[in-house]
Amino acid sequence: MKYAAVVLLTAASMQAQVTFDRLAAAPSEPQNWLTYNGNVQSNHFSGLDQIKPENVANLDLKWVSQVQSLEKFEATPLVIDGVMYVTEPPNTAVALDARTGRPYWRYERPVPDATFVCCGNVNRGLAILGDSIFMGTLDGYLVALDASTGRVKWETKVVDYTQGYSLTVAPLVVKDKVVIGPAGGERGISGFLAAYDVKTGKEVWRFHTIPQPGEPGHQSWGGDSWKTGGGSIWVTGSYDPAANLIYWGIGNPGPDWNPTVRPGDNLYTDSVVALDAESGKLKWHYQFTPHDEWDFDSVQVPVLADITWRGKPTKAMLWGNRNGFFYVLDRTTGQFLMGKPFMKVTWASGLDDAGKPVKVPGKSPSIAGTDVYPGVQGGTNWYAPSFSPRTGLFYLTTWEDYHTTYFTWDQKYEAGKSYTGGSARSPIPSLRREPFIKWGPEWGYGVVRALNPATGEKVWDYKMMDVSDAGILTTASDVLFSGNREGYFFALDAKTGKELWKRYLGMQVANSPITYTVDGAQYVSVAAGHAIFTFGLPRSK
Amino acid sequence: MSARWLLFFLPGLAVTQAQHGSIAGLPFSTPQDVAEGQQSFKSQCAACHGLDASGGSVAPSLVSGTFKHGGSDDALFAVITKGVPGTAMSAFPLGGKETWQIIAFLRSMNISKAAGKAPGDAAKGARVYAANNCGRCHTNGTGSGGFFGPDLSTIGSHRLLDQIESSIVDPNAEVTPDYWSVTAQTKAGQTVTGMRMNEDMDSIQIRERNGHLRTLMKAELNKFEIVRTSPMPSFKGKLSATELQDLVAYLASLREPAATEGAAK
Repeated sequence: MKYAAVVLLTAASMQAQVTFDRLAAAPSEPQNWLTYNGNVQSNHFSGLDQIKPENVANLDLKWVSQVQSLEKFEATPLVIDGVMYVTEPPNTAVALDARTGRPYWRYERPVPDATFVCCGNVNRGLAILGDSIFMGTLDGYLVALDASTGRVKWETKVVDYTQGYSLTVAPLVVKDKVVIGPAGGERGISGFLAAYDVKTGKEVWRFHTIPQPGEPGHQSWGGDSWKTGGGSIWVTGSYDPAANLIYWGIGNPGPDWNPTVRPGDNLYTDSVVALDAESGKLKWHYQFTPHDEWDFDSVQVPVLADITWRGKPTKAMLWGNRNGFFYVLDRTTGQFLMGKPFMKVTWASGLDDAGKPVKVPGKSPSIAGTDVYPGVQGGTNWYAPSFSPRTGLFYLTTWEDYHTTYFTWDQKYEAGKSYTGGSARSPIPSLRREPFIKWGPEWGYGVVRALNPATGEKVWDYKMMDVSDAGILTTASDVLFSGNREGYFFALDAKTGKELWKRYLGMQVANSPITYTVDGAQYVSVAAGHAIFTFGLPRSK
Repeated sequence: MSARWLLFFLPGLAVTQAQHGSIAGLPFSTPQDVAEGQQSFKSQCAACHGLDASGGSVAPSLVSGTFKHGGSDDALFAVITKGVPGTAMSAFPLGGKETWQIIAFLRSMNISKAAGKAPGDAAKGARVYAANNCGRCHTNGTGSGGFFGPDLSTIGSHRLLDQIESSIVDPNAEVTPDYWSVTAQTKAGQTVTGMRMNEDMDSIQIRERNGHLRTLMKAELNKFEIVRTSPMPSFKGKLSATELQDLVAYLASLREPAATEGAAK
């Protein structure tokens, strides 16, 4: 027995603990993908450079991991010291060998008879700290799993799922807390972000994304409309260690398309909020789309970038918004620095000096239907953009020439049920899994776009046939990886947008690629359809 | 908004069709149930399927009598209450009565009910169909016919009378992307044409006139063009008013099996 104990100890010491210092300094260990967005600054940039423009055309398929579910795969994996942790839809977490794809363990949480999601039983991923993996579930629980066995360490009920709430977002670990909030913007929820103690699962603080009576911003809701105001959370935020601030994008107001029942700006929907990491207190906020009428959730990933702004080094936040505008904010103060449309926008003629949109009259949803650009899925959406400190460019996936006809009607709120107050019709399907593209470019198409954050101007475009729900990864060798609904996974030159390599994976990519190394060899992983595909360079003989 | 959608916005359709509908097999199927089902549909389903159930950007049309995941009452009940994995159709936690009322409303919206009102003589229309060689390009459910044009075997479940008539006298009035074609010129100078079956960034999949399936790589083409007009000749002036009416009645009678329309239980 003594011998066994020694072996166990040795094995345990090989699995280094993932401290928060490691998460905060993620760029210093590019062999791992430590958070949903790669690092707490959410750059989706990797310091790895083994796969480069000169050899990326040699990429080989290394392994495939099939998902045991037909649900849409929207998750981005974590990779820590050779182990990949990822969620499979609807409610499953798995640990795989990152070199071979062989599974170590699987945590399958039963799905209730009915779940209360808007757009499919999805989960976007995990967070890690110490030897714990954190996962939000469709039935409203935050679960801590043991990283080496997948067994439950604790679980905390975050929301009552029968009231229209669900957890689909990958949590964010900040120091000794794990932060998460509920989806349900189409079901009249009252949203929040909450922090839980990583050891016990006990709630530490809660920030109401819809200010409750007595809280600042409550007056931005007419009458009782705040009670069903939405303000959902469904994409992971960022953290700035120097400022000790958490940044998070907030979802749409409810009901989506009947804004007349919720007079006012409807804070903090369609906003980014900056919260003190210790207390959850609001430091500042910026609302991209006050009194939203088109479902322009601002759930996009807050990209924290240190750039030169008008000649001065600036701690900036870069944001390609669903509403069609690209924004640069000062992330320390929340000051609006710049905002420009990155695509055709018809609901606003521009932004005023304070960054508030100047709305175009006649664009509200109507009984007969109102055409608006961008359409309901936005100029861009939830999938990750990327900022490369090497090229200094901001990369995002956009839906070009894409519009929706918005309809409105009166609707009574009923707890747990759909609460949208209208509908949205677009020529291009909002969600799709069929591999046929029958329409022409006049109905809309996808683009991977590089923007200069200093000007908001386009540097290059990579045009696709179909729109795309794929995020973007850039690397220290100036290779950009992304995918699309057509079923392609591809590599571009991050400086020029030139296509370097492409593979047809047979079904849509609706998540963001990642890269890592095991035993010194670089891999790049992406999910397409119902499988994870991992590529690498041919091994030298 | 495209013409395809506009055609479905017909006021009063629900009420008219409910009178012709046969939904007696449903547990809740009175006119009151249909009306309440319409209200529930508006609040719970219309955001994706559209107010008139003709489909939206996320969800398919529900008025043809063809349902992707089963058209029986029980199958519809299961889809509403359980959802469809891998799609935006999540489970709707509605009560049994409300769910059945929504199904009753959907049955009332069935577009093929319009066939009952066709003024022409369907039997005579079948002879018009044969005499004009429609079967050279179309199939009509009898196991014969060509594959070049749309399959008409169940066209009466999918199109309104006006739409059927318009397709005969003015085939270019509405050509859905399924029937667009492609004209391309290869770098070798060859001209290639065919029905456009699919397209992506790199390639176009076509069906040539002889049925040959072919993929054109865009990099190997000098140019290509999507042709959005119909290869079908117009029959305007070629048919008498009576012949046209009879042909429309015949086509409207080509429908999905009654079971999928909910006529039988």
